[in-house]
Amino acid sequence: MVTAPTPAGTPTARDSGRTADPRAAGASGAGRAPEPRRRTSRGAAATARRETVAGYGFLVPWLVGFFGLTLGPMVVSLYLAFTRYDIFTAPEWIGLGNFTRLFTDDPVFLRSAKVTLEYVLIGTPVKLAAALAIALLLNAVTRGSGFFRSAFYAPSLIGASVSVAIVWRAMFAGNGPVDSSLQLFGIELGGWVGDVDLAIPMMIILVVWQFGAPMVIFLAGLKQVPTELYEAAEVDGAGPVHKFWKVTVPMLSPVIFFNLLLETIHAFQVFGSAFIISNGSGAPGGQLNFITLYMYKRGFADMQMGYAAAIAWVVLVVVAVIALVMFRSARSWVYYAGDNR
Amino acid sequence: MKRFRIAVAVAASAALLLAGCSSDPEGPRADFDPNAAVTLDLAFWGNDTRAGFYKNAIAKFNEKYPNITVNSTFLGFPEFWEKRQIEAAGRDLPDVMQFDYAYLRQYSQNKLLLDLKPYLGKYIKTDGFTESTLGIGVVNGVTTALPIGTNAWAMFTNTALLSKAGVAAYAGGTSWDEYATWMDSVKKAGGGSVWGGSDPTGRIQNFEITLRAGGKNLFNDAGEPQFTKADLTDFWNRGAHVRGTGATIPTKRLLEVAPKSGFGAGLTTSELTWDNFGAGYAGDLGIDASGLAITAPPATTAGAKDLYLKPSMLHAISANTEHPEASALLVDFLLNSKEAGTVFGTNRGLPASSTHLAGVQLDPLSQKILDYESSIKDRLGQAPPVPVVGYGSIEEKFRQLGEELGLGTVTVAQAVDQFFSEMETILKK
Repeated sequence: MVTAPTPAGTPTARDSGRTADPRAAGASGAGRAPEPRRRTSRGAAATARRETVAGYGFLVPWLVGFFGLTLGPMVVSLYLAFTRYDIFTAPEWIGLGNFTRLFTDDPVFLRSAKVTLEYVLIGTPVKLAAALAIALLLNAVTRGSGFFRSAFYAPSLIGASVSVAIVWRAMFAGNGPVDSSLQLFGIELGGWVGDVDLAIPMMIILVVWQFGAPMVIFLAGLKQVPTELYEAAEVDGAGPVHKFWKVTVPMLSPVIFFNLLLETIHAFQVFGSAFIISNGSGAPGGQLNFITLYMYKRGFADMQMGYAAAIAWVVLVVVAVIALVMFRSARSWVYYAGDNR
Repeated sequence: MKRFRIAVAVAASAALLLAGCSSDPEGPRADFDPNAAVTLDLAFWGNDTRAGFYKNAIAKFNEKYPNITVNSTFLGFPEFWEKRQIEAAGRDLPDVMQFDYAYLRQYSQNKLLLDLKPYLGKYIKTDGFTESTLGIGVVNGVTTALPIGTNAWAMFTNTALLSKAGVAAYAGGTSWDEYATWMDSVKKAGGGSVWGGSDPTGRIQNFEITLRAGGKNLFNDAGEPQFTKADLTDFWNRGAHVRGTGATIPTKRLLEVAPKSGFGAGLTTSELTWDNFGAGYAGDLGIDASGLAITAPPATTAGAKDLYLKPSMLHAISANTEHPEASALLVDFLLNSKEAGTVFGTNRGLPASSTHLAGVQLDPLSQKILDYESSIKDRLGQAPPVPVVGYGSIEEKFRQLGEELGLGTVTVAQAVDQFFSEMETILKK
């Protein structure tokens, strides 16, 4: 904060006419040091300006990045979404052409949207449920919890990597480890990789396996729940189920909300694993042709950059609407301790 | 004053830029000094093996032209093209490029490639080429690329696997029905682990040769499709029939072994593909050339000229090069020289230039390709026009729909509609 360097007892021209102001009167009349919030002299204004300049100076690297690498490209892509653009020739304005094509003349896009939603709407809740369940277990364990925490967190670190996608592909192939193990129990599913009905479940298992990151956050949240609440509940005769629903869940709701929001948005961004498992094609039968993969193929394989930009904006709007709905709904189910509502 | 100076500087640099754009040389310069020191960029797609070959070939080239430094870079095929597309947008392509047929029209029409005509003869020798191979890289009357090697559509059969199953080898050049019957006999002998082949209607090339048997190409020189929805419906219905008999490998199994093909994974005994795929199959299967045979694909109409020689890859020079003459000398060496032939062998396809071929030590597989290409002489017709812009996407859409038909996720009528809608969008741009 700027501290005005006005010497005590030397009121400036601006102050002299405003002695009715108790602050100014106090400062000049009683000869006490001026309050820090006062900016009264020309020198002070100059300092403030200098500091503002310096502040922006320090912000320049970030601003350059924001305008040059984030906002600029976003604005350009918004423009491109209304054009036909193949990189070679100048973009040609076609109005809403790309958007009408998306929704009326592109069954591949609609299927792609459908499989993406399936993946997000099933994968995210299952992943969060798994994360919460394991976090509850770990919270109850007293010995060796550090080891288990690390062990469960590890898949989150490597789960999105190329090598894991390759391993996944091999594991779920016909007569691969998964198929063979299931055969031991008399379940004859064959390979999952090429199966229209099993490809998405395979991807969901991959994402659920990476429950470590939300788990760690849940665990931190669980440690914050005051034990006296549980004790009070016990005194009132609540069992474990009651304690979970009436104490743990409400107290944890901000963390649940945070994880739900983050993981939902994250799930929309699935790309690398689907790209590798389907060899970049979105096979079988378009089941792994998630929206990001489809956008990439339209842009960089088919050179329909305008169309790809339109897809990107549709995805952005859909994700933004979902986030908005979540924030709205949060008012009715998220409880912030210390919040008097 | 300061502002004025900045404005002058901006104007001057803009003028320089404009001048740079408009000074594309019209053919070789008279004052070209073959001994001047120049540096060229060379880009190709491939793997470490091919990179080693290029390195050796450039060393040989430098024995002749020590003044020309060649900086080469390589990438995998898709990444190679992603990078080129970005460079093309900024008119900053490498001087010399290994080029693909599918992108030739787009780059030529956008004037990104050097017109090679003025350099032919003097800088790039043409005596090793035939008239038809020289014509391969011509777009709208302008020669923008020359073929390194050629290949033809062919049928590979796995003779090792066939003799194990106890089925006679496919004769080659039969009718499609006889081919299907043969595939069925393999499947019956294979007992559920080996199939005769994959559904041929999943590949656009098989559709192309059936069209060519009727005297049509996929697209004419103006880029208009030469087939109707009825043609495609008929073709895919035939595929549905063959799949229905169970003679071909289920699509699900193919997806599991991808990126290997069913043939490369040892699950099928025949595959229709380009005749330069043999080395890859031998590698995938871990067998040598003696276990593979190359025969003619089924014929739709006896006596039709349905097959043709296609460039496996080409060489092109960028229009933005500052050293067109030196680039032409490098292209000549890579295309025509016996030395380069010795280095590359058939790594880049069966050489199109006979002087290049003279240096090639033919391994057994290359010999088979050479024998195959001479065996189909009577079926080789005029090559179709250079592929339309976006052909790669059209081919991929065809393949994907073929896959979906195999999985049963679309009907033939839906697939035909989707294909035409996609094709019209691509051709419109």
